[in-house]
Amino acid sequence: MTRLQIILVRFALLALVLGAWEMLPRLGAVNPMLLPPLSDVLAMLAQLLGRAQVHEAIGVTAAEVIVAFVIAVPLGAAIGVLAAENDYFGAIFRPMLFYVFSIPKSIFLPMFILMFGIGFGQKVAYAAFSTIFIVIMSAAAAVESVKADHVLVARSYGASPLQVLTRVYVPSMMPFLLETLRISMIFNFTGVMIAEMYASRTGIGHLIASWGENFQMPQLFAGVILLAAVAIAFNETVRWLEARCSAWRT
Amino acid sequence: MQCMAHLGADMKGLGAETTAAAIEVAGLSHIYEGREGKVPALEDIALTVDAGRFVVIVGPSGCGKTSLLMMMAGLREQTTGSILCGGKPITGPDPDRVGVVFQEASLFPWLTALDNIEFPLSIRRAPREERRKRAAEMLNLVGLQGFGTRYPHELSGGMKQRVSIARGLVQDPPVLLMDEPFAALDEQTRMTMGHELLRIWDETGKTVVFVTHSLTEAVYLADEVLVMSARPGRIIDRIDITLPRPRTYEMMATDVFGRLRDRIWQQIRKKD
Repeated sequence: MTRLQIILVRFALLALVLGAWEMLPRLGAVNPMLLPPLSDVLAMLAQLLGRAQVHEAIGVTAAEVIVAFVIAVPLGAAIGVLAAENDYFGAIFRPMLFYVFSIPKSIFLPMFILMFGIGFGQKVAYAAFSTIFIVIMSAAAAVESVKADHVLVARSYGASPLQVLTRVYVPSMMPFLLETLRISMIFNFTGVMIAEMYASRTGIGHLIASWGENFQMPQLFAGVILLAAVAIAFNETVRWLEARCSAWRT
Repeated sequence: MQCMAHLGADMKGLGAETTAAAIEVAGLSHIYEGREGKVPALEDIALTVDAGRFVVIVGPSGCGKTSLLMMMAGLREQTTGSILCGGKPITGPDPDRVGVVFQEASLFPWLTALDNIEFPLSIRRAPREERRKRAAEMLNLVGLQGFGTRYPHELSGGMKQRVSIARGLVQDPPVLLMDEPFAALDEQTRMTMGHELLRIWDETGKTVVFVTHSLTEAVYLADEVLVMSARPGRIIDRIDITLPRPRTYEMMATDVFGRLRDRIWQQIRKKD
């Protein structure tokens, strides 16, 4: 199959799904109370995006996501690099990190509520907690991807430790680091959403949860489309950067 | 008078440098400290490589020949003994005196062929123009005109080693150390690369120390072969290869070639 064919088939499938979403409720094949037609949902989305309450919720959620990300990624990266580079630290903490990594983080949510309440701090703390372990694991893997041979070559040409870092470590690790950013954002976003849906007074997650509880299906689907669009846009942007930085990988 | 004496000393120094051996190793031993305690890896190594010579070190795997080469490159420290290069001791990596070509090329996969060749110059922060010019010259020297913008994964095994040789020569060091550079290549490419290396050596006049475990490669390339024993590594024979230059593939079928190869083989086998 050529690339053009693949793209055409993808678009055809997308059109089919969206067309079914529009037509099935209108034809009465699906209860429009449960699945409102696509055009109604899009109209609702446009309307929601004009509301002050929604603006505020988007602002709060965005702030939570950004703050949690800014805490979890550098901290996790530092711990991961330490675990990979420092044998002593690695030997002691590695098993523990692996054990905690394997536990579903959502079971700790009630404890976070008890500790931090249900405000901004709790969302950030929980999202950072649910993100940091994947960052630690990926950063450690990134350091281990640096080949000893490459370090030796650089040293043989008189590279200083700083030059070894910037000329060998950073370019070797770059594709892994970008992948880490991308995956950690998925965990981070999920963390914020779960915390908001579980117990909150504002934020997009909170709105979506309450729309669902009140059976406001057009609003609920509009919220889902909005979040999906934001998540996909971020993911694809980083993936594009990743592809550019790793053209040399085969 | 003092001035004159000083000048005299300087000139003497210069004279000594040009006539001194490119590499002098004396009383070198190395004790490796592993899990099972101290293991003698290299024992009482002494060797002299005259400037412009092509010297090959052969020996069974694990005899420490790569370690010895890494010590000459200043990348590893010996337990005792000294290594002089151009009359001065080697205390650490010195790209002005020694260029290194590693096993399996060890090119940086995120750099193009030209950027890989430039790497040693960029580490020294040489001006961009000079870097470009030198790298292009080296690319031509190794016969890779037109491949400068390729990435390593777009090059064949032989081409990668050509880039690696160019990188080793880009700073114009008098000595080139080569650690089994063709070991990962197929037989045909290996023969071609050996021939190419001799051409490059002839054009540049470098001193080459070449480590290999291939006896044929050793005899084909060398002015002089040093044979090492299995651990602890010791130099057990020194053989002058009297075959005329330029070397040709046909020489490999001659009696002289066969006898030289046999002599090396007997030495290596004796220690087993």
